[in-house]
Amino acid sequence: MSDPARNADIAAHLRAALAAIGHADDATLKAELKAIVDWQEAPLMQGLTKLSQQLGEALGELPHVDAAVGELPDACARLDHVVAMTEQATNRTLDLVEDSQKLMEKLLVPSADHDALLRALRGNLSEMALAQSYQDLTGQIIKKVAGIVRGVHDQLTAMGLPPTGGAARKPEHDPLAGSGPAIAGVDRPAASQSDADDLLSDLGL
Amino acid sequence: MNKNMRILVVDDFSTMRRIVKNLLADLGFTNTAEAEDGGAAFTMLKQGGFDFVVTDWNMPGTTGIELLRMIRADDKLKTLPVLMVTAEAKREQIIEAAQAGVNGYIIKPFTAATLKEKLDKIFERLGSAA
Repeated sequence: MSDPARNADIAAHLRAALAAIGHADDATLKAELKAIVDWQEAPLMQGLTKLSQQLGEALGELPHVDAAVGELPDACARLDHVVAMTEQATNRTLDLVEDSQKLMEKLLVPSADHDALLRALRGNLSEMALAQSYQDLTGQIIKKVAGIVRGVHDQLTAMGLPPTGGAARKPEHDPLAGSGPAIAGVDRPAASQSDADDLLSDLGL
Repeated sequence: MNKNMRILVVDDFSTMRRIVKNLLADLGFTNTAEAEDGGAAFTMLKQGGFDFVVTDWNMPGTTGIELLRMIRADDKLKTLPVLMVTAEAKREQIIEAAQAGVNGYIIKPFTAATLKEKLDKIFERLGSAA
């Protein structure tokens, strides 16, 4: 705020204020002092106005994030469906395995109808193969959910919300609480069965 | 080893309990029962009659490691052999299980051969200790 016009303006207000003191003119003194205070506060007010505009704009952008976050319950429902589908497929396969085991026992009996038993076994094998088609369907659902999660992450990152990378990336939770399978490239490398065997044998087991 | 021994299979996933039961049956162990978490398992064990426990680690409610500690702290159950079958594969977890007194540790996914090998090893040790 160093332009000459402004400086001349404030100098005029100061002189007028001094003159008002000389004349014991309270009303003029107050008016001149107010003009000086207003001049001093102007940049602050401008800054506050700008900040509130920016805040308003930022808040205006939030509904986009809401849209992405809104897909999260949908993502959870999809994953629940994946759990149900994989469980169903596994049970179907196990049913067929157990049935086939019984058929095999019967095959050992010399007087059994071997042709019929073999046909039934062949049928079970193709049913088992068919039961694996869940992988295609669950794979598609999981890819869709991964897309939703990535979308949410991207939007949050664009807002500067989550810590990205570095030490703050993942809190190391109590390793003894159990955390499910370790995923290569995501989790700390897990021990293999032979690592575990070596470790246990070192511990005398 | 006694193929008639009563084995409790503990896992929160019914499919995994079924798979383990099937594998055990294939090895000749058909006297099995199931529990879906450590708490339910401990209640069943307290009623008596079990000779062996196969347990998962990560379960809602009472976990496998907690179940192991409860078994080792119980006067009647403390010598019961426990085989952990789990996806938990951090070094410190394996050490923790060993310190808590586990008899064997199998990392999922596992094979029928691994299960047989660990069972044989456990019974061999128990046999030589007896």
